[in-house]
Amino acid sequence: MTDHTAIHTEGLTKHYGDVRALVDLDLDVTAGEVFGFLGPNGAGKTTMIRTLLDEIRPTAGRATILGLDTHDSSVEIRRHIGYVPGDLAMYPNLTGKDTLTYFANLRGGVDWVYVAELADRLDADLSKKVGDLSSGNRQKVGLIQAFMNRPDVLVMDEPSSGLDPLVQREFQTMMRQVVAEGRTVFLSSHTLSEVQRVADRVGIIRHGALIALEAVADLRSRAMRRVELEFAAPVEASVFEAVPGVRDVSVENHHVVMSFDGNMGTLLTTAAARYQVVDINTHEADLEDIFLTYYRDEGGATA
Amino acid sequence: MLANVFTKTARDRWRGTAIGAGSLALLLYFGMSLYRQFDLSVYDSLPDVVRSIINLPEGTDVAGLAYGAIYGTYGALTLAALALAMGSGAIAGEERDGTIGLLLANPASRTKVLVSKAAAMVALIAVASIVLWGAGVLSPALLDVAIGGTHVGALVFHIFVNAVFYGMLALAVGAWTGNAGLASGAATGVMVVSLFAVGIFQVVSGWENVAKAFPWYYFDAGSPLINGVAWGHIAVLLAGCTVLAVVAVAGVNRRDLKTQTVGVTLVDRLRANPMTRKVADRLAGSTRVSRISVKTASEHQGVTLVTGALMFAYMGVLIGPLYNLIDPGVLDFSGDLPDELMTLFGMGDGDMSTPVGWYRGETFGLVAPIAALLVGIVVGSRALAGEEARRTMGLLLANPVSRTSILLQKAAAMTLLVITVGVATFSGVTIGSLLGGLDIGVANIAAVSVLMTLLGLVFGGLALALGAATGRVRPAAFGAIGAGLVLHVANALLPLNESLAGLSRFTPFHYYTASDPLANGLDWGHAAVLAGLAAALIAVSMALFRRRDLCQKG
Repeated sequence: MTDHTAIHTEGLTKHYGDVRALVDLDLDVTAGEVFGFLGPNGAGKTTMIRTLLDEIRPTAGRATILGLDTHDSSVEIRRHIGYVPGDLAMYPNLTGKDTLTYFANLRGGVDWVYVAELADRLDADLSKKVGDLSSGNRQKVGLIQAFMNRPDVLVMDEPSSGLDPLVQREFQTMMRQVVAEGRTVFLSSHTLSEVQRVADRVGIIRHGALIALEAVADLRSRAMRRVELEFAAPVEASVFEAVPGVRDVSVENHHVVMSFDGNMGTLLTTAAARYQVVDINTHEADLEDIFLTYYRDEGGATA
Repeated sequence: MLANVFTKTARDRWRGTAIGAGSLALLLYFGMSLYRQFDLSVYDSLPDVVRSIINLPEGTDVAGLAYGAIYGTYGALTLAALALAMGSGAIAGEERDGTIGLLLANPASRTKVLVSKAAAMVALIAVASIVLWGAGVLSPALLDVAIGGTHVGALVFHIFVNAVFYGMLALAVGAWTGNAGLASGAATGVMVVSLFAVGIFQVVSGWENVAKAFPWYYFDAGSPLINGVAWGHIAVLLAGCTVLAVVAVAGVNRRDLKTQTVGVTLVDRLRANPMTRKVADRLAGSTRVSRISVKTASEHQGVTLVTGALMFAYMGVLIGPLYNLIDPGVLDFSGDLPDELMTLFGMGDGDMSTPVGWYRGETFGLVAPIAALLVGIVVGSRALAGEEARRTMGLLLANPVSRTSILLQKAAAMTLLVITVGVATFSGVTIGSLLGGLDIGVANIAAVSVLMTLLGLVFGGLALALGAATGRVRPAAFGAIGAGLVLHVANALLPLNESLAGLSRFTPFHYYTASDPLANGLDWGHAAVLAGLAAALIAVSMALFRRRDLCQKG
């Protein structure tokens, strides 16, 4: 752990009875980065975040934010963070403005000019009661609430749920601006395109354990290409599986799809030697392909 | 009717119903066994006219009084409260929880859903009534008590129909408005007001017929325990149920369903009006959300203002002048009764022929503790568990405030609101006493109001502690209500038995009643016990809340 560490966990473990929601999680999030926290439903993302916020207490291990223990110094930490809970709920009888005033008062005041700017950027209506807003518009109030005190660390659990694409884009710009100022964003998500666009690094969690931790750029360069081949006649998967660098072959009659990080010449020679190639389509793998690959592999190993 | 909606509703609600009915059954047994040891010579010396008034037919042991004391008031109130909780939750509760859309996405009409839920309510109340009836038959058999000509079955049948009436009332209000809080509040209000209106108007000469305007009249005016089922009165209640059912069906079909209950308050209207916007904005926009304590107090302004207003106007101001109108015959009879029996009728341990006895019997015996407990428990049970149930606790705790500070601010709001009810009661009784020329010492009125307030804080503190331990509203509220019911009855019954009398010191109610504050002024020691108990419960809440994982859902 260094001075540049925004969030640090060591051996973080949480059990609910027999259910192991978090298993021995070690993680460092560096100040000034957007950290994408990925995982399927029920993997432990929300448990991790609720532990960081001291809503729940770890069974073992500890976590720090800005060098402060999340339990012992929880109140001090909360002066420096902004938080968007997953499945956001607010007080239905308060207007957006009232809601923000309430939280601002608990924080000893905020810069209302900045709040107005945030509301303008997200196109949020603060005059209506929260209970009368659609879930996307309610989410905007939750986002403003998290950004408004210019926190050093933003912790957000599925923050863009319900937002329309335009607002999502603006929200992503806001996140990049936060890290440009040297502040930190911890973003739990399964909107992969969003993580791909804004995150510097990603951690992938499954069954409560961290199974991968990489820079988005590395992940993409390592993970190769998607290759689709179309043939004149039905083909067999085994032919392609034998080629070095081929993974995840799926054959459907005349059509083959695979992930590939080997020599393209070898692949094409092998294919052309056995069958007549009709069409080739290949593109750089996106995070979704990588994500699916990880889960298929790890799933097979741990399930 | 939809069998699965019926089954699910019954399964969600059976536990509360079982606990309520089971407690009443145990209380009846307990009460009857205590009465059995009661000095019989007192009973024999009662004049016939009194024996008829206190519901003891020929050939019945004194222990038969337990029916009236336990079932007649507490049983009827408990079953009616259970029914109205189910009625208000039926449609409006699903809207509040946001589940109504999912439910109605199935091929089921609104009417069918409503009817199925109403049927589940009636079925559960029927089961509870059968439990009461069973305990009513078994207890005297086990205790070897002669029950002569009492009609416990008729009493239980009246309790059943009466409870269904209040359940249907809550169902109708909820179905018409979609507001569960309004539905349970309105039905509870009608129930409590009519219970005491009937009690008061029946003893005021010239006003007896006014009592017939209140539904509770048709529950007990015919004395079903003595006279059997009063079919005329039952018919009135059933006709009421039918009208309410029609209103409910029409109401739920006529309007747009809600996804979340957003009430429009007076302040909202003022904010919408350009003339008053500035002031209203300051009130609602800045003051209301300035602190956790102020916001909490503001959220419960409705129940506090209604309860406070009722205590002030109805149980305070109105009661004083009425003293001069009471039928003297009734007062004479109450003078003849032994103190213990009067206690059991919720009239305090004295006769009602003096101004102090009158106020003690009508206002401070049962109503004042109910009012103080109601506000304390509503605020206390929702203080922490309410934020968890609504999933706002995480957001609140993301701010730099400690759990301790949140709890203390919520407890402060609860204290403020219960004190408001105490002050309203004090002012009402003081004015009522002046208007009626009753000459009760202001210091004594203050004393009983202080003890009543502290009692409300003790049970509010208990609800807070249960909420802090579980994070769930319903167990906190019903736990505290149940404890209040059992301890109140225990405080009334235990003194009847010499060897057990000392035990009543262990109920908080002892410190409210024993010093007879309206007659004797404040017993500082008793006030200190109640205040200490309330403070201890808040301290326990703090310990429980600080070390627990927050619930994600209520």
